[in-house]
Amino acid sequence: MKIQFAGLALLLAMPGVVAGQMRMGASATSYGVSVRTANLNQTAASATLPGDGTLAQAQASNVTLGSYVSAQDVFAVATGDGDDPADAGSSVTLESVSVLNGLITADGVVAIASSSAEGSNGDGSSLANVTVNGVSLGDAVAPNTRVELPGVGYVVLNEQTTTPGGITVNMIHVVLQQSVLGVTRTTGEIVVGSASSSVN
Amino acid sequence: MSNPRLHAGLAATFAVALAAWGCEANQTSLAPATGRPEFHFFQFECTPFKVTGGGRIDYPPGTADQNPPASHEYETFGAHVIASGQTDANGTCLADKGELEWVDHRPEMEINGHPLNLHATAVTFAERATDTDCSDGAAHWGGKLRVQNTGQENLDFEVWDCDNGEPGAGHDGFAIRVPALGYEVMCPDPDLPPAEPSCTLTGGNRQFHPTH
Repeated sequence: MKIQFAGLALLLAMPGVVAGQMRMGASATSYGVSVRTANLNQTAASATLPGDGTLAQAQASNVTLGSYVSAQDVFAVATGDGDDPADAGSSVTLESVSVLNGLITADGVVAIASSSAEGSNGDGSSLANVTVNGVSLGDAVAPNTRVELPGVGYVVLNEQTTTPGGITVNMIHVVLQQSVLGVTRTTGEIVVGSASSSVN
Repeated sequence: MSNPRLHAGLAATFAVALAAWGCEANQTSLAPATGRPEFHFFQFECTPFKVTGGGRIDYPPGTADQNPPASHEYETFGAHVIASGQTDANGTCLADKGELEWVDHRPEMEINGHPLNLHATAVTFAERATDTDCSDGAAHWGGKLRVQNTGQENLDFEVWDCDNGEPGAGHDGFAIRVPALGYEVMCPDPDLPPAEPSCTLTGGNRQFHPTH
């Protein structure tokens, strides 16, 4: 019984708990483009939720990372707060996207990730006029649509991955591959329009 | 929660406002200097609270349905505000701090080929709205902003925030008005309380925190 009272006293001694202000971990990050290869490792227009739970933003009128990717009008935002009810969210938008010299293009990219204690989702994410290998896929690209890129690797469009307490949305995720003596290995990746968030 | 009629008038008004900037010797002369609310909710409380989050609105019409992505008829934003619960000598509910980053992707709102980008430079007031049907909380707040595309700054703005449960998409709402520009993304609905002119989020979330 004494142990129970001690536990109750400890609980009452935590003002945040009594006032319903339990603090949770809220994290959110978004970025416009990222290239990870043997000769280039760079991310552009990146925003990460500050520790004090306010807002971070980044933007760029034009982004070009080598011959891998170019985009215009990139806006990235990360917001949220760990105070109960905790929330975290991020978004990034891009225009006139070209990957690998036009192998993949999109007029507009929107990635949104949203998390709360009730769950996470990528609602609001979209691709406008996306083409792959010169083939139009239109606007309605289902989550986790994979398209092979012969001689290059493959791309996953509207990639949505659950994470502990959250979600990561990568609107264009190119996996670069190389085959040597019948063995395929990954040599790098290109991500366009990434938003992630989590609450836990 | 839609009002398509606003669209044509908004574009015209905004174009006129932009043209006026070019003729103004003093580019801040269009903005009121107060940084106070343009009008109040019918009922509000000056209490401490916080609202966080961001997302996407597809305005017009501003309903829960997305417009075709290729139309670029949408807006994205991030915004947070911390209300102090204190009032100044004029009775204005003061904000401790806040931020707003707003991007209007509509082609008709582009400036020099780039999306309209509004950035808050100061958040000065914040009041909790009680005359709404937002289940988890609502707020009216604002301050001063800068048009990033042109450098025009010190412009009054006000926003309406609605946290109407989870998930935010399809439930929560947000609206903005910048009087000096004739710019507004608002979705008043005669079936809802006047304190709630917000447009429904098509992505993201608004989170009302009762205390901070």
